[in-house]
Amino acid sequence: MDNVEPRVGHPTKLVMSLGRILVIFSAINVEVNMVVFDPAILSRVTKPARYTGNEVNSIKKDHSQVDVTVALALPDVYEVGMSNLGLKIIYQILNNRPDTAAERVYTPWVDMEAEMRSYNIPLHTLESKTPVCNFDIFGFSLQYEMIYTNVLNMLDLAGIPLIACDRNENHPLVIAGGPSVFNPEPVADFFDCFVIGEGEEVIEEVVEVVAGWKKSNKEGGRQGLLKRLAGLNGIYVPSLYQVTYNDDGSVAKVSPTCPEASPAVTKRVIKDLNEVEFATKPVMPYLDIVHDRMMLELFRGCTRGCRFCQAGVIYRPVRERRPEKLLELTQQLVDNTGYNEISLTSLSSADYSHLSEVVTSLITRFKSQGVSVSLPSLRIDSFSIDLAEKVQQVRKSGLTFAPEAGTQRMRDVINKGVTEQDLENAVGAAFKSGWSTVKLYFMIGLPTETDEDIEGIAKLAYKVLDLYKAVKGRRGAKVTVSVSSFVPKAHTSFQWFGQNSTAEIERKQRLLKEKLRDRSISFSYHDARTSFLEGVFSRGDRRLSQVLLAAWQNGAKFDGWSEHFKFDIWMEAFKNTGLDPHFYTNRERSQSEVLPWEHISCGVDKAFLMREYDNAVAATDTVDCRREACSACGVCPGLGVEVLDWGVK
Amino acid sequence: MARLRIEITKGEEIRYISHLDYARAIERSIRRAKLPAAYSEGFNPHMKLAFASALGVGVVSDSEYADIELKEDMNLQEVISSLKSKLPQGVVLKRGKYIPSESTALMAVVNLAVYNIIVPLLNGAECTDVQQGALLFNRAEEVIYIRESPKGRREINVREFVKEVKISQADGMITLEFSTQITPKGTVKPSEVLAALVNNFSLPADRDNALINRIGLYVIDQKGVRLTPLELS
Repeated sequence: MDNVEPRVGHPTKLVMSLGRILVIFSAINVEVNMVVFDPAILSRVTKPARYTGNEVNSIKKDHSQVDVTVALALPDVYEVGMSNLGLKIIYQILNNRPDTAAERVYTPWVDMEAEMRSYNIPLHTLESKTPVCNFDIFGFSLQYEMIYTNVLNMLDLAGIPLIACDRNENHPLVIAGGPSVFNPEPVADFFDCFVIGEGEEVIEEVVEVVAGWKKSNKEGGRQGLLKRLAGLNGIYVPSLYQVTYNDDGSVAKVSPTCPEASPAVTKRVIKDLNEVEFATKPVMPYLDIVHDRMMLELFRGCTRGCRFCQAGVIYRPVRERRPEKLLELTQQLVDNTGYNEISLTSLSSADYSHLSEVVTSLITRFKSQGVSVSLPSLRIDSFSIDLAEKVQQVRKSGLTFAPEAGTQRMRDVINKGVTEQDLENAVGAAFKSGWSTVKLYFMIGLPTETDEDIEGIAKLAYKVLDLYKAVKGRRGAKVTVSVSSFVPKAHTSFQWFGQNSTAEIERKQRLLKEKLRDRSISFSYHDARTSFLEGVFSRGDRRLSQVLLAAWQNGAKFDGWSEHFKFDIWMEAFKNTGLDPHFYTNRERSQSEVLPWEHISCGVDKAFLMREYDNAVAATDTVDCRREACSACGVCPGLGVEVLDWGVK
Repeated sequence: MARLRIEITKGEEIRYISHLDYARAIERSIRRAKLPAAYSEGFNPHMKLAFASALGVGVVSDSEYADIELKEDMNLQEVISSLKSKLPQGVVLKRGKYIPSESTALMAVVNLAVYNIIVPLLNGAECTDVQQGALLFNRAEEVIYIRESPKGRREINVREFVKEVKISQADGMITLEFSTQITPKGTVKPSEVLAALVNNFSLPADRDNALINRIGLYVIDQKGVRLTPLELS
């Protein structure tokens, strides 16, 4: 067994005065390290239950009885990490395997991090409290760019070398999946490999490769393992690729350095969601987490074709679960969790072919068990209002709509596919049904945007107020206008667009603020500097790993949390590494330029994205292929999959 | 309609969860066990589940009590065994029985809590300092603890709620045992009693590392007879 060999983070190094490490020797002389926090530490930190585990449905296995151990991480605080559906699915799939133990670990909040650093307590998992450095695999889910420094912080707290090539065969294999890995380059130096696309099947293949490599007595060392992994479809091993640059700083070429690495890595995709495991037995948090309810995924993918949306490209094509499968999954969720609310989570749940039928069945079948239904995203049409009324029979809390842009021209540019009339009908129906609070989501900084489009946002907000007066005969509506700054993302048709500068975004925010001076309207917007940085890492290249490292060394962490965001540290890091952030964000890229993520494929053709960019500039619409004509994005023939929709096409 | 009273524990495994977290965990267990729980009417139906007394973060308990209202009668053994199988780690269902539906709410009848605190002795402290601390506390007419909360500062006379503190000591650990009265005026938290002993009477205890355990909740009548909420009626 490999477990008996000494590993990094040997217990003798970990003995400390206040945070205790228990060293237990089991009968077969396999050492098990268990980190125990002293009561004093747990009483000092906020929300100590973030660190103590023992939740219902959490799974503890004897590590000496499995072949592979996996620490699954989301590099954010417990309440955020525990809300991620993808990790819940992976946790269940891995723990269903008798040869694998999967455990959870999240980023300690800053107070706990300070305690851990001052008493030398290593990062450890919630289930067995084993130091992460003793696991075979340390897997991260990367949901957004602003948590990259937390990855470095967690590796450091675990005592694992931050740079992948500094690790040896006794260190965990550090891997990542999730939407952000569709451009993995900015974090390429820190990860041994990336899992591109849907993880249900490939994660088991990764475990099998690791198990086989361990049984072979770690043949070929760490390099041997990486080459074996590179042979799997959907696995990208960045160290097996060389990137060369042009004089102007753009990428010249990304080429594999060994035969095991293929020139392009294509995402993994599940053909039929009815056939794969779903998170029916999620770990039940004690704390109130961000999404503290059952999550039911109706379908994956969205082909509405909004041109700014990365999820709408990388999760193609649409694949629905069958209605009867959904009811079966719900019953299991209800039985296993005891939650009293179920949320239908998909990119646009209202597009599910049998939504009305499923919602009605859910309400009638589970009402007696005290379960209510919630819909997180609403389309702007009256059908959605009928549905909202069905699910919220008594409470008239706020309704959220996303027109995304203030003028019809702008909505046509982004292919939003809704008209002002749609919004009027939907909001009017909502007011008639008794709602009075409406939240409207918009973006600013979109391609071809003019000040008229910004003013259009304000006009729309006032129109909603007037509509309430027209319907109800009095004032009394509350409108929240929430405006985010557009960040162009890799793999979208706006991937070549030069992001608005921070100054330009701030000017547009001021312009809008001046126009929204009504007490019934509240206005919220994002920090332009955060969006700027997000833009750098969304479309950045490999060289940015140095910037991340420098920023982390100077104290950057939890950058997505406004109270911890330190812009100056970042600017300093760019300066010290000689990299210009504006090169990555504000520069309009030529369509002939090699993009840093071009060797990562989500199956959608570049030619389709180019056509869509032209359509955007011409404000021409592209229909949804789910129930209408195919626009030849290339994903179905490319990946050997097809649209699964149970409605009439 | 039937009203079930249960006695449950809060164990080491879940020491650091809050009272709200604990209550929510029990509520979810009841739903997993598919007990026919009753819900309140209104916009936001709540399960009719009521606890005797809130337990703080970091405090475990040998005896917590909760009343659950059921929509229909169900065999007691069946209720108990279904609920037992669905409770989280660290919660043990010790006893349960049906009580008359007109019984006074647990919160209103429980008036005494008994605690046990195990706390490390400070390095170099003398055995006599420990005994002296307890002796002085027990003799004092008034022991003032200043409770600071977001609402402001408030002086509390700990002696109003705690009659006597028993103290013993072995292997570098101090064990304290005392009861706190729960009155209409309020009560005192066990951590506050310990703080008063350390601050006002120089008890040489490493109070940050104290482990607090509630060992019982009682209803004490005018004659001083102590009954558990399950022995009432």
